[in-house]
Amino acid sequence: MLIQTPDEGLYDELFDENHKVRPHCRTLENWLMNSDESLITEKRREANVLFQRLGITFNVYGQDQGADRLIPFDLIPRVISAADWQKLQAGLRQRVNALNRFLHDIYHNFDIIRAGVIDAEQVFANPQYQPGMQNLKLPRNLYAHIAGIDMIRNNDGDFYVLEDNLRCPSGVSYMLENRRMMMRLFPELFAQAAVAPVDHYPALLGETLRAASLNPNPTVAVLTPGRFNSAYFEHAFLARQMGVELVEGPDLFVRQNRVYMKTTVGPQQVDVIYRRIDDDFLDPLAGNPDSMLGVPGLYAAYRTGNVVLANAMGTGVADDKSIYPYVPDMIRFYLNEEPILKNVPTWQCRKPKDLKYVLEHLDELVVKEAQGAGGYGMLIGPRATQKEISHFRDLLKARPHHYIAQPTLSLSTCPTFVDEGVAPRHLDLRPFVLSGKKVQMVAGGLTRVALEKGSLVVNSSQGGGTKDTWVLENDQC
Amino acid sequence: MLSRAASSLFWMARYLERAESQARLLDVSLTMALIDVPEDREEQLSVPLLVTGSKEKFDELYGEITPQNVIDFLLLDDRHPNSVYTIFASARDNALQVRGNLSADVWDSINLSWMELKELRETGVTESSASQVFDWTRARSHIFRGAAYGTLLRTDSFHFLRLGTFIERADTTARVLDIRHQMALKSEEGQATQSFFEWTALLHSLAAFEAYQQIYGHNILPMNVAELLILELDVPRSLHACLREVVALLEQVENGEARKARRMANSLYANIHYGDRDYIAERGLHEYLTDFLERIQQISGQIQQDYMGWQA
Repeated sequence: MLIQTPDEGLYDELFDENHKVRPHCRTLENWLMNSDESLITEKRREANVLFQRLGITFNVYGQDQGADRLIPFDLIPRVISAADWQKLQAGLRQRVNALNRFLHDIYHNFDIIRAGVIDAEQVFANPQYQPGMQNLKLPRNLYAHIAGIDMIRNNDGDFYVLEDNLRCPSGVSYMLENRRMMMRLFPELFAQAAVAPVDHYPALLGETLRAASLNPNPTVAVLTPGRFNSAYFEHAFLARQMGVELVEGPDLFVRQNRVYMKTTVGPQQVDVIYRRIDDDFLDPLAGNPDSMLGVPGLYAAYRTGNVVLANAMGTGVADDKSIYPYVPDMIRFYLNEEPILKNVPTWQCRKPKDLKYVLEHLDELVVKEAQGAGGYGMLIGPRATQKEISHFRDLLKARPHHYIAQPTLSLSTCPTFVDEGVAPRHLDLRPFVLSGKKVQMVAGGLTRVALEKGSLVVNSSQGGGTKDTWVLENDQC
Repeated sequence: MLSRAASSLFWMARYLERAESQARLLDVSLTMALIDVPEDREEQLSVPLLVTGSKEKFDELYGEITPQNVIDFLLLDDRHPNSVYTIFASARDNALQVRGNLSADVWDSINLSWMELKELRETGVTESSASQVFDWTRARSHIFRGAAYGTLLRTDSFHFLRLGTFIERADTTARVLDIRHQMALKSEEGQATQSFFEWTALLHSLAAFEAYQQIYGHNILPMNVAELLILELDVPRSLHACLREVVALLEQVENGEARKARRMANSLYANIHYGDRDYIAERGLHEYLTDFLERIQQISGQIQQDYMGWQA
């Protein structure tokens, strides 16, 4: 099969700048070259049917039940060399450790604020900061038991952290199912390449959740918003794989600050809740009073220490865009180490010096609202009109505190099976990091790929797909 | 286990069983309508509508009783709760709610049926393709049962699922027997051959024709049929067999506190176990079955209250 060559100036995961196959990708390239297009088309159809059968689909609200949608799965894996992974793993461990230290600090002693590394306002005025979490002792001082770190590879070949997800990061079931699918469709391929396994993720997650409680033999449950949630498949999948109950808010109740499940043999106390519901919806008495998803009294039980939530309440403050620029400083401050993973350089417009630079370079930067989400209120300098740029110049001058700016990064590409054949498409990577007795992760993560030519948007809601992610156990193959 | 999960498993199994019996009923009625004299065809076709209590809805939506209309209404119409399609949608919805408790094979058996049923709905079913669809329904039911038997742990998940199956099955047998019995009585006043076909149809719709042949021989007598479908422990769809399962399952389900459902089930079971055809004849079959239906519904309600009900 013919593989289109990557674009000039971009980093491609399969080919180097001279269009030569990267040594660790030889097996894959060989397989691709020798695979017949009709075979791949056939396998692709098979994969679609299998995913439908698994029910790894999501319903769109208000549409007919016939509208079960699949996130597109690309058959060409993305390969990460053993050497790259070694570095990534060390960097992720370091970063998540520092983030957990930071969360503990801002709910207890405020050392980092006292030391002047981060302004008090940045933390305490953040809408994600939960004053109710202050001085609450959590087992092992852990807040983000499960972290999903979004990374991209820039055209300099280095990995950069784009965003830390410390609330309810999702997508891990796709990592697992994609691998299962690839092994089913192309067993011969795995016989040739030494790909690190990912299957044991649910076991590690179970271990992490049990370690989150002081009870040596805790009862764990997964709390889901229910079957209409787009990640419901994942919630059910993880509960089943861990052998724990999948509960919805109405399945739980609180009595004398203890949380119980309603079972066929009466109330059963729950010690650890792996919750896949946002802070605000967990307890109608403490957060959004209209929430039907949560459990009245849960927050009080949590404050009493009778139940552990994973992740903890109030982790959102550490994955906010306005805190993101400080993560390298956190690593230096708490761990006394140099950061292994790179942050995307970020100018904080509330600083006069940064603002000056941003105003001078608006046509080459991306400007985002510090507390915004979902790509709203954003300026992409290189693609903006003069009018938009001058509009943003006014906004920045009027309310510099509300904005940050970053250079436009180019995401790396990887050959992807699309309508026009096998062509390069941009992708990112989300490894999942588990913090319990120790920090653990399986080798790999979720690779999302933008299926539209030239697009940098990998989100599934906007036409993104996923790939199997291979971390090689050794690079000699 | 989680009460809501127990309830979902219970209802999932009930709906799956119901979808299967619905298809069997319809199958037999269509065949009978072909055999029957033209003026009685409508009556044959209306049996599955009467058993499911959806005659009124049918009249409202279709009016005229034709084989095609009955097929459309009872197989694929989503505007009422008694089509195979809607029943299956409910089964699948319950399965989805309880995915965490289902083995991969059980989930796959249900979800694949659902996908195929949706396709079927796109293509539509005609009189001539109907029997293929009935074969398909039966085969899919067997696959579900095989997956459940072969892959589920024998914990309460399994027990509640089986409880749903047998409660629904007992309910169906009693209902079908009652309605067919009444029809046969009417035609007995007319022709003996007609009544022979009625009873044959009844046995076919409960997959018990071959069993009858083996036990009683070729001569089909009404009281033998009743005895077979009510008292014969070896017939899988008899009331006796279903109740024995219900009683045994309730013994295995964990929860020493809940005695009421067990008491009710054991009492109904004893009634059948120590009953005989004379007792049934004395009470009158219709009265006997009406009483049975009432009690099986009470047991179903009590199971839900004992194990799945939670007062806020």
